[in-house]
Amino acid sequence: MDEENILKFVSAYLKKKGFKQTEHAFQEELQHSKTTNSSSSQISSNSQFDPDIAKQILSFAESENGPTRYQDGYSKLRSWTYSSLDLYRNELLRVLYPVFIHYFMDLVANGHLQEARSFFNSFREDHEIMHLRDLQKLEGVLSPSHLEEMEFAHSLRQSKVNIKMCQYSYELLLQFLHKTQSTTILGIINEHINFRVYPGQPSSISDDTEVVTLTGSSQDAINQVNEKEIHWGLLEDSLEERLEKTGGLTSDSEKAEGENKEPDWDDNKKKPVEGGKQGSSIKKLKKDKAAGAAGKPTRSETTTVVMAPRVKPELALPTVSAEVEQSILEDLRNRVQLSIVALPSVSLYTFVNTHNGLNCSSISSDGSLVAAGFSDSSLKVWDMAKLGQQSVDSGLQGDSETTPNEFGTSGGKRSYTLFQGHSGPVYSATFSPLGDFILSSSADSTIRLWSTKLNANLVCYKGHNYPVWDVQYSPVGHYFASASHDRTARIWSMDRIQPLRILAGHLSDVDCLQWHANCNYIATGSSDKTVRLWDVQSGECVRIFIGHRSMILSLAMSPDGRYMASGDEDGAIMMWDLLSGRCVTPLMGHTSSVWTLAFSCEGSLLASGSADCTVKLWDVTSSTKVSRTEDNFLGGIFYLQLGFYRNSSF
Amino acid sequence: MSVVPKEAIEVIAQSIGITNLSPDVALALAPDVEYRVREIMQEAIKCMRHSRRTTLTTDDVDSALKLRNVEPIYGFASGDSLRFKRAAGHKDLFYIDDKDVEFKDLFIIADHGLTEGGVPGDHILRLSELGVDPRKLVHRRGDPETRHVRRKKLVIEAPLPKAPLDVSLTSHWLAIEGIQPAIPENAPSEASADGKKSESKEDGLPMDIKLPVKHVISRELKLYFEKITELTKNRSWSIIFKQALVSLATDSGLHPLVPYFIYFISDEVTRNLNNFSLLFALMRLAQSLIQNPHIHIEPYLHQLMPSIITCLVAKRLGSRTSDNHWELRNFAANLVASICKRFGHVYHNLHPRVTKTLVHAFLDPTKAFPQHYGAIQGLAALGPSVVCLLILPNLEPYMQLLEPEMQLEKQKNEMRRHEAWRVYGALMCAAGQCMHERLKKFRGVFSPPSRAVLRSNGKIAAMMTNKRKASTDNLMQQPPLKKLATDGSMGAMSMNSMQVDMQGAAAGFATGIGASHAGISSMSRQLSSEQLSGRELGGQTGKTSSVLAQAWKENMDAGHLVSSLFEFFGQSMFSFTPKPELSFFL
Repeated sequence: MDEENILKFVSAYLKKKGFKQTEHAFQEELQHSKTTNSSSSQISSNSQFDPDIAKQILSFAESENGPTRYQDGYSKLRSWTYSSLDLYRNELLRVLYPVFIHYFMDLVANGHLQEARSFFNSFREDHEIMHLRDLQKLEGVLSPSHLEEMEFAHSLRQSKVNIKMCQYSYELLLQFLHKTQSTTILGIINEHINFRVYPGQPSSISDDTEVVTLTGSSQDAINQVNEKEIHWGLLEDSLEERLEKTGGLTSDSEKAEGENKEPDWDDNKKKPVEGGKQGSSIKKLKKDKAAGAAGKPTRSETTTVVMAPRVKPELALPTVSAEVEQSILEDLRNRVQLSIVALPSVSLYTFVNTHNGLNCSSISSDGSLVAAGFSDSSLKVWDMAKLGQQSVDSGLQGDSETTPNEFGTSGGKRSYTLFQGHSGPVYSATFSPLGDFILSSSADSTIRLWSTKLNANLVCYKGHNYPVWDVQYSPVGHYFASASHDRTARIWSMDRIQPLRILAGHLSDVDCLQWHANCNYIATGSSDKTVRLWDVQSGECVRIFIGHRSMILSLAMSPDGRYMASGDEDGAIMMWDLLSGRCVTPLMGHTSSVWTLAFSCEGSLLASGSADCTVKLWDVTSSTKVSRTEDNFLGGIFYLQLGFYRNSSF
Repeated sequence: MSVVPKEAIEVIAQSIGITNLSPDVALALAPDVEYRVREIMQEAIKCMRHSRRTTLTTDDVDSALKLRNVEPIYGFASGDSLRFKRAAGHKDLFYIDDKDVEFKDLFIIADHGLTEGGVPGDHILRLSELGVDPRKLVHRRGDPETRHVRRKKLVIEAPLPKAPLDVSLTSHWLAIEGIQPAIPENAPSEASADGKKSESKEDGLPMDIKLPVKHVISRELKLYFEKITELTKNRSWSIIFKQALVSLATDSGLHPLVPYFIYFISDEVTRNLNNFSLLFALMRLAQSLIQNPHIHIEPYLHQLMPSIITCLVAKRLGSRTSDNHWELRNFAANLVASICKRFGHVYHNLHPRVTKTLVHAFLDPTKAFPQHYGAIQGLAALGPSVVCLLILPNLEPYMQLLEPEMQLEKQKNEMRRHEAWRVYGALMCAAGQCMHERLKKFRGVFSPPSRAVLRSNGKIAAMMTNKRKASTDNLMQQPPLKKLATDGSMGAMSMNSMQVDMQGAAAGFATGIGASHAGISSMSRQLSSEQLSGRELGGQTGKTSSVLAQAWKENMDAGHLVSSLFEFFGQSMFSFTPKPELSFFL
């Protein structure tokens, strides 16, 4: 390669690109160097040991004139990776997806729309399994202006993906790229991929999840976030702790029983709801375990469990009256421990005639009230005590004709209490721990507080700008948090109409949220496929959990505060260790959206309800493997909501 | 290049009044339209997820539009779940099956006089708003010969649609300590293994898959069942078995056991035809089950009936001669009758099938007498009308068959003769009941057993005398005449008099009707015989009162029936005639 040639190419390139000033400067400098040093040693030496650059420049100049080169380049890379050694293929395959989407976006950005479309369609299938939803989003991008408008594409363009690769794979890739002179690919790789090369053997697991998920910040930042200290322990001086300390000293009757007094655990209650055939019937399930049931956990079992450390509350907690405290203690004492050998009983509530309008449901902690939010902006609350009574009364009516049709459905009296106030579909409802208040969130961007005692609306909390997807009471009451389409989660207290904290950081809708058992943290799940953990006091994000492949729909916190479970649209459930921010085990089994998750009160069982019409129970303790699958439903749509249920007398 | 063709843009532009849209603009707009539509749909999917659904609805699109601050498209919302149909020839093109409603179904045009040219403006307006020319409607529905434009009134005929049912809440046990109970609310557990089913759920199409349900019964019920079967097999004459029968007839929680009991009965009957006591116990068991008001036994009748019919018309029941299989047959006959009475209206072919089986048994001369006996008893229990229709026409030939068997001279076999007499008794009883029903209908006129007839049958009567003792035994062994007993107007009185009559008839009918009787019954008997003779006279001479004549005319059939029956049975038929004294007492 001749020095002249290089100079020519360089100037041609500059001209082509329209870098007039640079070209000018280049020419000037060239002139200058020519006049001053007839034999410019520097340039010549450069040209000698860097023929590659010249080639690249050359090919780059050539590539400018044909968008078809993209397709060729990509298909070459693709066939090369697919034919590479099995050992390295997994790692090399990870490169394909970022290259693919950026190629596509490059093509669109350069205005080659036709080619972009055909390129996209010809290779789309390769990535559909892993990235279907992203592809669906990108598919619509048809003009450069869309690229700029679309947030997803925008963030893709700006952020770098991380790919972990072993030394040898990396070298293989570079070799290939040099050999084929794929400058465009090189450009993309340089621009958008952040290789983290490690020595040694390639990893066998193809956990390329990091590639999928955008976090809006670099990997290092995430690592930094995930290294922040969190205290996952339970609140000190909680009722449970006091109960454990006092042991059997609480009740005379239990003393008589001798050693067999369990500091019983809460009855786990799950309430899945199913839309039956044609969505007309909706089922709802509640789990509870009758006291004194078969499984008799011994005292020693409970003490062997690693005691959760105790932490101080960061919030000013509301005081609990002595009576309420007493009743909670009573319930705690009557709990039966659930485990893989002592499975719970499940009561399923079915909503019928909802006409596809049921969005959410909730059961109060004592199991006496059931609330359901509907698309017609209404919130309906059923009193379970009356529900049983009603059937008895109607039976009597049949016998003796004397009862007026007070209970008859035709008599016009509703079997539920109707709360009207929202002006859009009600997406979430939650009971306060004591069951005297209900919060509901709606598409009208408000949250409303209702009193179950007065049957009236007390407060309307306005703050979100878009539909509020989820609202959750804190475990101690008084505080609550909401998640919205406006990409924020907000923390509120009942006595203020302004939010106390705004948790911003998600790149898309915040779809669900859950309080940590010690009230110091809130977890939020989002459409950006991440789960974040926020510090309530500071409002900072303290953990980012990356791993899901689609929108997060449900979250649950283990009662000991150490683990969290999240369920997504595809049916995957992931167990996370809050401390490390890593996924403990993915629980695969559901085939459709996981609407709801709940831990049993001792944290040994996880129940999940899904759109595939099943409730599954997972054994969390024994290395969290699938322990049991049960409960199939007839219906088509299925919807679960979980809660905790304390009153064992039910 | 875009999914939306530029022609679509042009059409839309034209529809909103932009006629001069240049092709370039349309071409540039098309991809943007696609992009926007996709964007909206992605938002709509989000809304769908938050409504916990897997089928996208128009409501979701509306709320997605609202999210984007775009006016939603009104008028497409539907409360019902959508039923999609696949467009023919396309793999992934669906449409909503929207029924066309006939205009005339919604509106009816009612005539309101003929006012020439008087079509009220508002009616035209309304109809034309609907896109219908009112004149066309008139011509289509009106008389073709009238050229008048009729004034029509638009009436919405269709009733208001029913208000949708209100939301309600039901609950059931999905699992009890981790085990799913087999109750109708729970889907069978095999469903999970069925891959197809979950697939069908995915697209949200309504589908009805019924899978076999494994029947699980509780431990208590199992114990109960074992106890009952043990009792039936081994201790069927103990008091505890009677208590068990009462329990079976009254307990409400036994329904899960019904199929097991039915199977038990049919199984045991086929295996133990020679075990008389077991058969009887099984029949009692069946009776208790049928009596139980809480058991829905209908679906099992087809399994139960063969066993009972077997006990009715089997050739041999029990192994020893001492076994009173006649009683068992009577019992089974009543059981069949009660089943027919209770389920006959539900099971259309129950009655015909039972009678067909029995008539076959009755008319087959090769069958043994016990079988005939059972068939006759069964038919008799089904009611007088059945007897009248099926037994009486065949009575004459059958009697010819039966007569020689009953005579000592012709039939030497004691056993066989006895059986023949049994059958004779059953026939007589059946015929008598039938006659009684007939005659009961008209008071004042009673079957006039003419002495002439009696005399002409002297032969038989004489023969009867010989066999009197046997016949008396047989008659006494007849079960209390159920028909009479249940007849409200008769009550216990009739029973009494019947017994007495039977005795009387058996004791000395050769000397006449008004023979020796005792007490009140003899008094009344006297009365009746007097009346009878009087009427007999009237019947022969025609000098009777008009009332009697009328009655005779009406009931000529009955009269014939009675006289023919007398041919066969002689005076024992008297016992079945309704007694006037009964009506006196009533």
